[in-house]
Amino acid sequence: MKNTPKALSFTVQSQCLKTRARTGLMKLPHYTVKTPVFMPVGTQGTMKGILPDQLEEIDCEIILGNTYHLGNRPGVDVLKKAGGLHKFMGWNRALLTDSGGFQMVSLLKLAEITEEGVKFRSPYDNSEIMLTPEKSIEIQNCIGADIIMQLDDVVQTTFQDYDRIKEATERTSRWLDRCISAHQRPTEQNIFPIVQGLLNADLRKQSAEEHMTKDVNGFAIGGLSGGEAKDDFWPMVSLSTGILDNNRPRYLMGVGLAVDLVVCVALGVDMFDCVFPTRTARFGCALINKGQLNLKQKIYESDLNPIDTDCLCETCKRYTRAYLHCIVSSETVACHLISVHNIYFQMRLMRTMRENIEKGTFPEFVKQFMNEVYPQKTFPSWVVNSLSSVGISLE
Amino acid sequence: MRFIVTKAGYGSERIGNLTGFVKCPNVVIETPTSGLFTQGGSIVHLTADVLARVFTNPQILVMPLTNSIQLETGVKAQNEGVTKFAGLPEHVACVTVNNFSEIVPPGHFEPGKIPLWTKHGKRMTTADKYMDIMEIFRPDMFLAIADGCMSVNETPKRLSKAVDRTCKLLNTCVDRYKASKELKNSALVGVVVGAQNQKKCDECIENILKHVDCISGVALEGITDGTDLLKEDTNQYCDIFKKIGGALPKELFRILEGCWNPAMTLSAIEHGWDIFDGTYAVKLTNMGIALKLSFDVTKENETPYLLDMVDERYKEDFSPILEGCECLTCKKHTRAYIRHLLNTREMLASVLLSM
Repeated sequence: MKNTPKALSFTVQSQCLKTRARTGLMKLPHYTVKTPVFMPVGTQGTMKGILPDQLEEIDCEIILGNTYHLGNRPGVDVLKKAGGLHKFMGWNRALLTDSGGFQMVSLLKLAEITEEGVKFRSPYDNSEIMLTPEKSIEIQNCIGADIIMQLDDVVQTTFQDYDRIKEATERTSRWLDRCISAHQRPTEQNIFPIVQGLLNADLRKQSAEEHMTKDVNGFAIGGLSGGEAKDDFWPMVSLSTGILDNNRPRYLMGVGLAVDLVVCVALGVDMFDCVFPTRTARFGCALINKGQLNLKQKIYESDLNPIDTDCLCETCKRYTRAYLHCIVSSETVACHLISVHNIYFQMRLMRTMRENIEKGTFPEFVKQFMNEVYPQKTFPSWVVNSLSSVGISLE
Repeated sequence: MRFIVTKAGYGSERIGNLTGFVKCPNVVIETPTSGLFTQGGSIVHLTADVLARVFTNPQILVMPLTNSIQLETGVKAQNEGVTKFAGLPEHVACVTVNNFSEIVPPGHFEPGKIPLWTKHGKRMTTADKYMDIMEIFRPDMFLAIADGCMSVNETPKRLSKAVDRTCKLLNTCVDRYKASKELKNSALVGVVVGAQNQKKCDECIENILKHVDCISGVALEGITDGTDLLKEDTNQYCDIFKKIGGALPKELFRILEGCWNPAMTLSAIEHGWDIFDGTYAVKLTNMGIALKLSFDVTKENETPYLLDMVDERYKEDFSPILEGCECLTCKKHTRAYIRHLLNTREMLASVLLSM
């Protein structure tokens, strides 16, 4: 380890005696974040109509920005002149940016990946652009987030070709080295490597072990949550968290459904992100423990309950399901109200998990939670198996 | 509800107080004032939580029935009035008929019925049906249903019919109002139409004054159908503000609906108009335009007061919309950020501009 001041210090506060769940404090340049944490996604430097002040009040401690989008608009020059994304959007707490690589592959079918980087056509002006590991870090250095991501070679999760997966995994490791040496602000920003290997246990093991040898302050687990079967998903999470050491935070990318969060916290994950809570809000869906309510449905027309009777968010304090039903398809206000509730819901779930880990009651909480979600005890096999791998028996 | 003129100016302009709201007896709303325009019962783009960051005191919510009629079932089930149902119980509702921030289609009349252009299409509505809804909504004040949606250049025949229809509708509203227990805490507002024709307009005002014992205020309609008024600045309108303002008793408060620019609004205030409908701010927001008026009479205002925030020139402008403005948007956010949000079609842009 080098002897420079660190941009991240992580201390485990308490450890569940049965599962791998733990709580921790992750001290970042802009904020000290309590883990396990859910990070809402604010793609373009804003959280879907919600003010930064409101996000603070619903206890968001760290949010995400997308490098690909921000690099296009407002662009690196504007962000540089504004003094970084924190100042530009008026957000004083922690930020994380992705590498931009995922958008290339998900948005742009024409992307071509070579050893040098990802080549694609800009959807804005159709020019040819090459995103290299160095370029990604350069943009992320301008944005100035507390945590930045290495550029990884992304292959669709359900892809089967072993050679291509192997190539992607090994290239991701080589690109990590290029990212680390291109990084200009190591005392203010942390690069997280991304564990790749898709659903191949050997490659994933190889990737995680290699990343462990690097001088980094935390790790991400990537290449999952891309449409694979849940029975294939959880063993990869478990394998990764088993290799990555206990003294650094582990971030599982793109996971945010309540059941997945509970299982993966039990498997030892500390950080999550997902567009789901805000995206589903735009379609009029509000999150509750049992799943979600589609407020467009006529059954809510005269339903004078709040979305969730136990919820203390600003939306549930004031608004009924009946009212939200009336405005859900026509007013932006409805979208803001449901987004506030949904983000609050995620924050509340994470807080409840942290409290239970600290009290030593996490396994009981998990059982109670699953019984509420599946009152008929029709637990999916992956939930039963994953939890039993960490000593929680549902049946 | 009461209206008292507290100070009359040298001309017809006046300062007044609206007081005596049953649900908030201590509240005083000073006029001239602009209401906050609502859609579906909510302030356009602003949730109750965000609104509370802009205003700490109660505001007048302007609620056109055409965009809030879908709340009827829910308000009825809850039985606590429209403001409570819409999550804004501490504010004061003023229900109107039409949304003048959009163009209202002309015509489509049947005897005794007025077309309401809702998002689910046209709903022909009688005065009785309208009053049924008012008894469910129980707003703090509401306009009598009227045939008030037409441009300033209507034909004499159309004007004449509009006045006759409006008088009849008012008479039904008054009968229902007098007999209604549910509406005893709601103020009834008469509607003047036909301003372009002296004789018919006098008839209309006369009919309102017949019911002056149960009418608290007057609204002026029939001079706009929601067509873009932003660029207009004609004397024709000012003359109407003056003429109608002068013909009304001073103790009635006066509501002017429509999307008037600041100069027109000032002219209306000069002629004694008290309450505006807030559509101007909504319209500008939806066009991505910021209003920059400092209201500081000691400074000559040389710069334009409308900023088109999509403009490239604000790309790297890290100053607030209006230096020294105390609103949350100006205190925390820059022109460059708002331009970025508009450019990426993010909803927060409208939130910040609305504030």
